[in-house]
Amino acid sequence: MSRTMKRFILLMMVVLLSACTAPPKKDLALDRVRGELDDLKSNPELAGYAPLAVGEAERALRQAELASGDDLYRAYLVYMADRRIQIARTMAEREQHEQALDELEKQRSDMLIKASQLEADQARMDAERARLLVATTTEDAQRAREEKEQAEQKEAESARAAQLSAEEADQARRLAESRASEAEYARLEADLASQQITSLTRQLENLQLRETESGVVVTLGDVLFASGQTTLVEGGRSSLAEVVDLLQTEPDKKIRVEGHTDSLGDAETNLQLSEKRAQAVLEALVSMGVSSERISALGMGEDFPIASNEDEEGRARNRRVDVILLDN
Amino acid sequence: MKLIFIAFVCLFFAACASVRPDVAIFDPVEQAILVAEAAGGDEFAPVEMRFAREKLASAKKGMEKEKYEVAVYLLEEAEINAELAIEKSRTAKSRRRVNELRKSNEELDARMRATFGDEFK
Repeated sequence: MSRTMKRFILLMMVVLLSACTAPPKKDLALDRVRGELDDLKSNPELAGYAPLAVGEAERALRQAELASGDDLYRAYLVYMADRRIQIARTMAEREQHEQALDELEKQRSDMLIKASQLEADQARMDAERARLLVATTTEDAQRAREEKEQAEQKEAESARAAQLSAEEADQARRLAESRASEAEYARLEADLASQQITSLTRQLENLQLRETESGVVVTLGDVLFASGQTTLVEGGRSSLAEVVDLLQTEPDKKIRVEGHTDSLGDAETNLQLSEKRAQAVLEALVSMGVSSERISALGMGEDFPIASNEDEEGRARNRRVDVILLDN
Repeated sequence: MKLIFIAFVCLFFAACASVRPDVAIFDPVEQAILVAEAAGGDEFAPVEMRFAREKLASAKKGMEKEKYEVAVYLLEEAEINAELAIEKSRTAKSRRRVNELRKSNEELDARMRATFGDEFK
């Protein structure tokens, strides 16, 4: 091989090498891609993440920068570099997310820890309160126990005393029994009294009652008799039922039935009328269970009005039969 | 002299451009697109998915027309788009998780404050 031939080959080798390694021409697309990588690497939020992917992007970009040859090939390399950078950026973002997730998880568990501490604090406070309560209760219990012991001692003493004399004990028992029956009796009486009071109260609500010097007076208005009549109207007996109930609450007291009239008409007639009416009420009461031995009837005529005889309303009030539960 | 030059040119092309490729070279790219689809690429990276599919189709066409060099470039570009779609989908999901957890923490914080008042934090 001649020297010129050798030189030529050498030259071609150089050309070949330069074809593959020659610095590229000014390339806008390449500049843009380089800018993207620089942007990724200088981004304060993403810098340092996904180093392997960034390295790959770096290599792809350098390959594109160093490439020579046809535009198609170089465009391909630039495109690949661009995609590599985007992959690197995406992976960097994901790594950043993962770090954020770690921080958020930590934040969450810190919150839960804090919450459980506060809950524990509350529980401790509750427990302290409960402990104090228990302590107080224990003191109370202690006191109660001491009192009980004292009582038991006393009981034991009295038991011993009781043992000393069986007769004494027996007496004591009898006494206790009689006391118990007395108490029972008293209770029954009280019950009875309260029952009476209740029924009396009920009757007092329905009947026209007055307290007088001679005793309790039940006034029966002029509904019992028709005008001028001396027999009870139909239904008059039923209105006496309450009076009978009232009278039977005081079975020991005497009863006087007084008839009164208004001042119309002649006084003698009125007297007779009042007497007959009083007698009619007496008979009705006796027929309804009031003992005839404790009841008497009296005509009072027109001389004991309880209201004015000047008007019909007053006269109506004066036409009445008084049933008096005598105090003596 | 002329022969040597031609030989160098051929050598150059052989070095820098691809030669007639095997049909099997489509397989990994199609695989990558399937993975990207499974990762939710159509939802999270629709542009990249389209690029990947279109470039794969173009690569196949180029191969049929025996434009091997272009076809190989397109194939590479299709594959890297599928790869980018996968990464973007995964990142979108991690972003969603971050947002969800952040929101959930804020809710927890509000609930704690409501329960424990100013003692909390």
